[in-house]
Amino acid sequence: MSHESVLGCVQDTLGELCSGIHVSSPQRIYVDVPPEHSVRANRLMFEKLQGRLATATGCDARDRVEVLYHYCMDRDGVVVTIRTWANKPELRLDSVAPFLPAADWIEREIHDLLGVVFVDHPDPRRLILADEWPEGVFPLRRDFPDRVEKPKEASAPETSRSAKP
Amino acid sequence: MKRTVVPIGPFHPILEEPLRFELHVEGEHVVDADVRISHNHRGMEKMCEGLSYDQIPFLLARVCGICSASHPMAFCNALEDLCGCEVPPRAQYIRTLICELERLHSHLLWVGLAGHFIGYNTVYMWAWKYREPILDLFEKVSGSRNHYENHRVGGVRRDIPDEVFPAIRKTLDELEPKAEMLLGAVIDDPVIHARTKGVGVLRNVDAVAYGVTGPTARGSGVNQDIRDTEPYAAYDKVDWKVVVQPEGDVFAKAAVRLLENFESIKIIRQCLDQIEPGPICADVRELPEGEGIGHAEAPRGETFHYVRSDGTNRPVRYKVRAPTFVNVPSFKANVIGAELADAMLIVAAMDPCYSCTQRMSLIRDDTRQQSVITHDELLQLSWAKTERIRRQC
Repeated sequence: MSHESVLGCVQDTLGELCSGIHVSSPQRIYVDVPPEHSVRANRLMFEKLQGRLATATGCDARDRVEVLYHYCMDRDGVVVTIRTWANKPELRLDSVAPFLPAADWIEREIHDLLGVVFVDHPDPRRLILADEWPEGVFPLRRDFPDRVEKPKEASAPETSRSAKP
Repeated sequence: MKRTVVPIGPFHPILEEPLRFELHVEGEHVVDADVRISHNHRGMEKMCEGLSYDQIPFLLARVCGICSASHPMAFCNALEDLCGCEVPPRAQYIRTLICELERLHSHLLWVGLAGHFIGYNTVYMWAWKYREPILDLFEKVSGSRNHYENHRVGGVRRDIPDEVFPAIRKTLDELEPKAEMLLGAVIDDPVIHARTKGVGVLRNVDAVAYGVTGPTARGSGVNQDIRDTEPYAAYDKVDWKVVVQPEGDVFAKAAVRLLENFESIKIIRQCLDQIEPGPICADVRELPEGEGIGHAEAPRGETFHYVRSDGTNRPVRYKVRAPTFVNVPSFKANVIGAELADAMLIVAAMDPCYSCTQRMSLIRDDTRQQSVITHDELLQLSWAKTERIRRQC
């Protein structure tokens, strides 16, 4: 297959689910998919077009958080990106991890760093943030402050001898 | 049977970053597994948003101490996808050369450690001895044994002087018979067969579902190599082949890496033959608004980078995905049912980087009735099994 035939396949398969297809170069295809069709589009990409989910990128775009699922079409050397989004303030998006184990970790990461709630995720525990990190603070959001005060420790242990007066 | 939880990590010498594996065992056999990452998250994606495009490669080289050329390579691919600039041929050959030297040193490092884990310490000493001249080459080529990358958008930062080329050839000529000997040592040894064949099998269907990359995928019969599917740098100008083994066990992954050494040597030799004098960097003054995706084949698999630009000299969003991030979850698919003595080897076969210090200690947590196994105990288990097999042979 060639680059054009991948574009043709994507148009045939995802044509009615997507709201736009953007081709930035012959090897890079971006497909805009509204959140309600995200699971179906991802399932078609994985099962029908046999794309390999390389990873997903979460990106804070002010009124919504975009989630981009990057599929590598390894036989053709093309990367097809499914661009979907979760609207603020609920930030809910259906998870694709139930049928695609490759999405498990990256969805947990996006939840930790950007606060997107992936509905029906099989294992929604924290992945990146520490257990003692406060709820509702997301480091990759645009409104995350540049400087954050370190939480006070109950009793600071003495670290070295030289620290003593 | 009583179920025991064996935690490995978070600080453990076979792991790239502090990772925590929890193995649920019944008797000798692993029945469930869990992985916890990010004990040492460095926030590099956030840091990238505050750096200019000239500064970012220096930071990305430090994502991994072993694949320090692969991340800047993926960065260049992403940025060159965004701005569409032409990279001069000499720069492409220099990039290829450095990436392949990196693969050689990384695979030799792995062979040594794998030997150590199964109790073949001679292999460990040999492999690391043969790796040393490659690090010396890096010093000649780039001035540094460790952070030898010199990528920048549009080309490379510094040229390789022509007088270094004979030294590279000489090192490769000396390395090739040694690599053959290492391959022979693995292929012909009945004990290594017994320890690695059929152990930790990652089935092809699991490899596809988990989206694993690199030798972990190619050892499970997935024909996937970014150098082949989307040739960057000078990989389309040289003759080489993708090494694929269908079995999916530890032996197959070892075979992929050992055979890839020869492909790397072949690629470097062709680069030396074909490289010609010329400019080493294109003049990139502005980057347009938009998005770019770049990936590169690191020794451990595909590194994937995504950049979003608003036309300024800093990215709005920079995403880095290292190969270990997709390879480690597949541990859940191939460790269940394995023996505890093999667990270490199965983790090692995925080749998470080995840059952490040995910081395990024996702790018994009486409140939770869990015992923590030390690195040495796990190693002793593995060595004892090899010794047992050796006696039977």
